[in-house]
Amino acid sequence: MARFVTLRLLRAALTIALVVTFAFIVLRMSGDPAQIILGPEADPEAIRAFRKSWGLDAPLWQQYFQYFGAIAQGELGRSMRDGRAAIELVAERIPATLALTLPALFLKLAIGIPAGIFAALNRGRFADRAIMLLSVAGFTVPSFVLGLVLVLVFAVQLGWLPSGGQDSWRHAILPILTLGIGGAAVLARFTRSAMLEVLGQPYIRTASAKGVPWRLVVTGHALPNAAIPTVTIVGFMVGSLIAGAVVVESVFSWPGVGRLLVVAVSNRDLAVVQCILLLVAATMVASNLIVDFLYGFLDPRLRHAGGKAGV
Amino acid sequence: MRETSRRSVLWMGGAAVAAPFVPRFAIAQTDNRPRITIAVQKIVNSNTLDVLREQSNVGERVFFTSLWEALISRDWLGNLMPQPGLATGWKRLDDQTVELQLRRGVKFHNGDEMTAEDVVFTFSRERMFGDTQPKNRATLRTSENIPTSRVTKELPAEIPAVARRAWPDLVRVEAVDRYTVRFHNGSPDVTLEGRLARYGSDIMSRRGWEEAASYLDWARKPITTGPYKVVEFRPDNSLTLEAHDEYWGGTPPLKSIRFVEVPEVASRVAGLLSGQYQFACDIPPDQISEVEKNAAFEVQGGTILNHRLTCFDKNNAQLANPLVRRAFTHAIDRQAIVDSLWAGRTKVPAGLQWDYYGDMFHADWKVPEFNPTLARDLLKQAGYKGDAITYRVLNNYYTNQNATAQILVEMWRSVGINVQMSTVENWSQIMARGPQRAVRDWSNSAPFNDPVSSLVNQHGPNGQQQQIGEWSNAEMNQLCEVLETSTDRALRRRSFRRMLEICEHEDPAYTVLHQNATFTAKAKSIRWKTAPAFAMDFRPGNYA
Repeated sequence: MARFVTLRLLRAALTIALVVTFAFIVLRMSGDPAQIILGPEADPEAIRAFRKSWGLDAPLWQQYFQYFGAIAQGELGRSMRDGRAAIELVAERIPATLALTLPALFLKLAIGIPAGIFAALNRGRFADRAIMLLSVAGFTVPSFVLGLVLVLVFAVQLGWLPSGGQDSWRHAILPILTLGIGGAAVLARFTRSAMLEVLGQPYIRTASAKGVPWRLVVTGHALPNAAIPTVTIVGFMVGSLIAGAVVVESVFSWPGVGRLLVVAVSNRDLAVVQCILLLVAATMVASNLIVDFLYGFLDPRLRHAGGKAGV
Repeated sequence: MRETSRRSVLWMGGAAVAAPFVPRFAIAQTDNRPRITIAVQKIVNSNTLDVLREQSNVGERVFFTSLWEALISRDWLGNLMPQPGLATGWKRLDDQTVELQLRRGVKFHNGDEMTAEDVVFTFSRERMFGDTQPKNRATLRTSENIPTSRVTKELPAEIPAVARRAWPDLVRVEAVDRYTVRFHNGSPDVTLEGRLARYGSDIMSRRGWEEAASYLDWARKPITTGPYKVVEFRPDNSLTLEAHDEYWGGTPPLKSIRFVEVPEVASRVAGLLSGQYQFACDIPPDQISEVEKNAAFEVQGGTILNHRLTCFDKNNAQLANPLVRRAFTHAIDRQAIVDSLWAGRTKVPAGLQWDYYGDMFHADWKVPEFNPTLARDLLKQAGYKGDAITYRVLNNYYTNQNATAQILVEMWRSVGINVQMSTVENWSQIMARGPQRAVRDWSNSAPFNDPVSSLVNQHGPNGQQQQIGEWSNAEMNQLCEVLETSTDRALRRRSFRRMLEICEHEDPAYTVLHQNATFTAKAKSIRWKTAPAFAMDFRPGNYA
């Protein structure tokens, strides 16, 4: 077990280091923050002063090692837009994003998993086809289209809900629905597939043949075995809680981490981008770790196989 | 002693419960001014409300005329010509000195009266110029004689550079008395009045600066004189302004103005139609008819002090010959672009100049005519063999940029110029040096009413185009010096015309495509007039 945990922690640390390095290279090689932040009509002298004050005139390798050294000491840098600590800026936005993504996650789970199970148990019937039709529609329609349709119906036509902003709980309803519907559709499809695969296994037939009530066969044998692929998807969704609403936050003018990321990338505000990426990577890695441990819990074979298992 | 009856106890109890609501009710009765919400694509780019840090069109919209004011204002709802602002009058003492009489009784948002000391501080080393030096003097003496115990606030590094570009040779601002100030320049300059009216020369409260804990604290809530004051600024989200009822120009017509950032056009329009916003800004021309399908709404707006250009790099092998660049300029049917992409709601201007230049404006000047035959002939004379020429563009940084670029490429191709469009991501990629750099998009503004503010500042020896090594011309550079220092108005006017000839016809540095425009959608029931600028005017008299 200790080897299992150690290997995964090492892999997580390596992943985060690679993400930070990749972000640094891509952002630094693809544009000068001074020119971008100060704008196309900026005075050349102002650009020179800006670059000097932020150390952008130093060689790239020097900037990289300085940045990595600072991270090692827990210093994530300052925003070039207003000089505030990047971590402070990002931390301010996290509650707003979680106010959308957490309820949306519950909505996805509450709709997606029961719908997938129900469809699998009614394979080929009207209910199955209806759920799958809605599911395909749900995950093929881009979130910005779905969001705008919801705005047109509920804000413009019916006037029941606001079209955007973050002034009250009512402002959160449409973005949560937009996020929730798409995710529930994905989850329903995965859950259905997993359930169908398990329901076709010999041990299900054996249990039924032995006279175990169907309800117990489903809850005691099918659901736990179908949980592994579903847990993988849910793990990914949990990992996306921080930066999984970039488009929806833009459509609904919701001031969360996603919008901060868009603005920071377009301004090449490196410290903020890297702070968000670190956070996302850490969340994703932590989520994957939890999923790995859950595999071991759900399937004893994986637990006993030690570090060889994993997805 | 008077007995207290059950009825009187009940009455007093009821009165006590109601008491907190009575004043509010009374206020609501007396102050029924509307509160409005304005949806914009971006509030500010720099996350601050400092006129020297945020030098952008979007900044102009929230700053002027609501928040910041200058000594010399502009006729915002007219032709943008200078008019009295925080100064009631001004006169020239000599070629280098302007004296201004301050308006009396102007109150800052903190209740202080604006005096000469605030003006001097606004143009101080501490607030504006940092360690920079005026062009012709060893040191800046502004405000050095005013003792202070305040803690120094470190300015962002680019602010002194921006300030010095706006005031290259300002050596001293003198407080003659409480309501009189003098601006002393190091060299003769006919543009001093224009510079006083420009974006960035706006007056701030000295006490407001001193009491702020840091530059950022101040820049998020600057204490100024405008008709509205900052209540709350949430960067990338919203800016709430509230009426400054001691405003010198009368009681503001709105109780509050809230700018909210809504990046998507569709979301801005939806919010307007649903009644959530009273104004939706940055409406692209192709959406105007969509909004106006609803009879209750209209789109206002029009040309602003900004021209769209296409710039040339004369170091590029194909563009070194000016005949090729001239061919580019004659192959463009500018009016077709205006008619097709802008629904005719902007115009082809008279080159890189604006009407508000006054006597420096050359009304008879024209951009190169659309003449494909001439363009082909010029290419033939130049011996152009059809080698590829790269045209770098951004993805709709400017309104209609992609569509305009595609049309331009086809127009150039039709006369025989092989232009390859290359869409890049940001300005530093646009300006990156190398053999591929050849043609690019740009726009130029005129911060004040003289060609120095645009042609000299953007294309002269210290302007961006020459600084990044795209273009240079010895005669043009000599004429820039004339324009900056001569007080002979006739000579300046002749020099400016010659500069236009060089930059737009003989040795093209750029070619002007059209004047830029901005459009704002609103409910028809709101009586409000748009300015010929990004600025939104909500001063007394312009909202009902």
